[in-house]
Amino acid sequence: MIFNESYEVLKDDYTNAGTISSRIKKTLASIGVSSDVIRRIAVASYEAEINMIIHSYGGTIDFQINKDNEINLIFKDKGPGIKDMEKALTPGYSTASEKARQLGFGAGMGLFNIKRVSDRFDIKSSSEGTTLTIGFDLK
Amino acid sequence: MKSVLTYTLKSCTKCLKCIKVCPTGAITLIDDRVNIAHDKCINCSKCAIACHNKGIQSKGSTLEDIKNYDYTICMVPSSLISDCKSIDEVESLFYSIKMLGFDEVVDISDVEGQVLNEAHLYADMNDEQANILSFCPVINRLISINYPMLENNIIPINYSSEVAAKMLREKYKVKGKVGIFNCCECEAKLALAKYPYLNEEFEVDHALSIVDIFPLIKANFNKGKIKVDLCKEGLQSCNPSMMMVDKDVLVSDGFDKAINILEHAEFGLLNEFKLIGLFPCFNGCIGGHLLWGNSYLSKNNLYSLIKNENKEISKLPFEMLYKEDLMDKSVDKRSIEDKLELFFKISKKLDKLPGYDCTACGLPTCRVMAEEIVRGNKKLSDCKILKSMEIENVG
Repeated sequence: MIFNESYEVLKDDYTNAGTISSRIKKTLASIGVSSDVIRRIAVASYEAEINMIIHSYGGTIDFQINKDNEINLIFKDKGPGIKDMEKALTPGYSTASEKARQLGFGAGMGLFNIKRVSDRFDIKSSSEGTTLTIGFDLK
Repeated sequence: MKSVLTYTLKSCTKCLKCIKVCPTGAITLIDDRVNIAHDKCINCSKCAIACHNKGIQSKGSTLEDIKNYDYTICMVPSSLISDCKSIDEVESLFYSIKMLGFDEVVDISDVEGQVLNEAHLYADMNDEQANILSFCPVINRLISINYPMLENNIIPINYSSEVAAKMLREKYKVKGKVGIFNCCECEAKLALAKYPYLNEEFEVDHALSIVDIFPLIKANFNKGKIKVDLCKEGLQSCNPSMMMVDKDVLVSDGFDKAINILEHAEFGLLNEFKLIGLFPCFNGCIGGHLLWGNSYLSKNNLYSLIKNENKEISKLPFEMLYKEDLMDKSVDKRSIEDKLELFFKISKKLDKLPGYDCTACGLPTCRVMAEEIVRGNKKLSDCKILKSMEIENVG
């Protein structure tokens, strides 16, 4: 690992929704990463950050760059876990609360969109928590 | 495009306000002088407004330049007309401008109307993305520097002053060497001309600052009139609340709001809007920094003037409206390995700096300071905070 930044995400912290993704986006821009790659990372990190706020008990986001010029984003939460993974990956399926929907989140496109825009996608979930790892190649 | 803002050393009290307000980090204080970087300056004039000592100013072309042409035309945009309370005042204003030595004074509200109309049509046909109106050079430059992801969302329609200048040059080509002048309401528009800032790519020959020529205009006021016809759509295009806004169209004024919208757009969160119009100035172009009136009253004036409208939008061929290379798009040719190597070096230095972005060193942020240390132009000891901590520790 040549670069690693960790951020904390709190449950139901809607007012700060997107601030971590904004920081990641700004960091990538200051490196000079091409617009196309930043756009995909921004969309994915925003969706995943919002997912953690809405659905999880909170957790951490790790933003890493390794020596092979790959970016990895690791979203690790403390539960409650995704019950039906197949459904969660289906576009339009949502378990978001009424509160989240009122705020404009929870359209059920989150995981589907993240998978669509990322170069690598891995998700592991149990009642102990969910770890989503998404990877992007820098060109 | 070059910066139109110039710095006057003798007025400068080194208060650093200009550095703090600059949205692109274009301003630095090095060796007790303020420097404005041409490649980063977007001509937003925030620094000129923030400076309490008039240390940062802009100038337009002079009327002396009229002599260099066989036939001269002065264009008047709607934003300038907004200072007039009635059509009589508009006609008197046009007469006064003509008396400065122009052969022709032309209202371009019909072209402004057509340009805005075309942008709506473009947005309807490309509704899969959020299309950003291209009428403000500040917004276009801001996007290309701070939000390059959105460069392709900018509608490739040319500035109305450019479209009108092309049309006028064609119309009057039999007159010999035609000089086209544009009366400008803000700093950014001063850059959209060949002179005085040597931006050769533009069709307009000279940009005049309304502040410079106003005393001369005033001398001829109420001494005569020229018949003027106005176009409603053009008048409306210079104020956000008067623009024809319907569903799926987002229009805003004010710099901070524009930034907020661009941040959201970068995450793809505004794609349900097919058209986004951003005015960095309050109340739109009628709030241009070089205009002397107050823009709240100017808006009221526009409402009165619209009642007199009797000119339809222009019907120029659409290929005259579009411009593919509207902006100098950002190109970074370094390899990703080089980019990352530099970034890691900078990050290491950044970890040592306090991160207050206090600007006391004369640079806009600690990140820029870290960059300059890596480049060898600054040392860690140039940081005023680190320096004071050192003194405390020794003490």
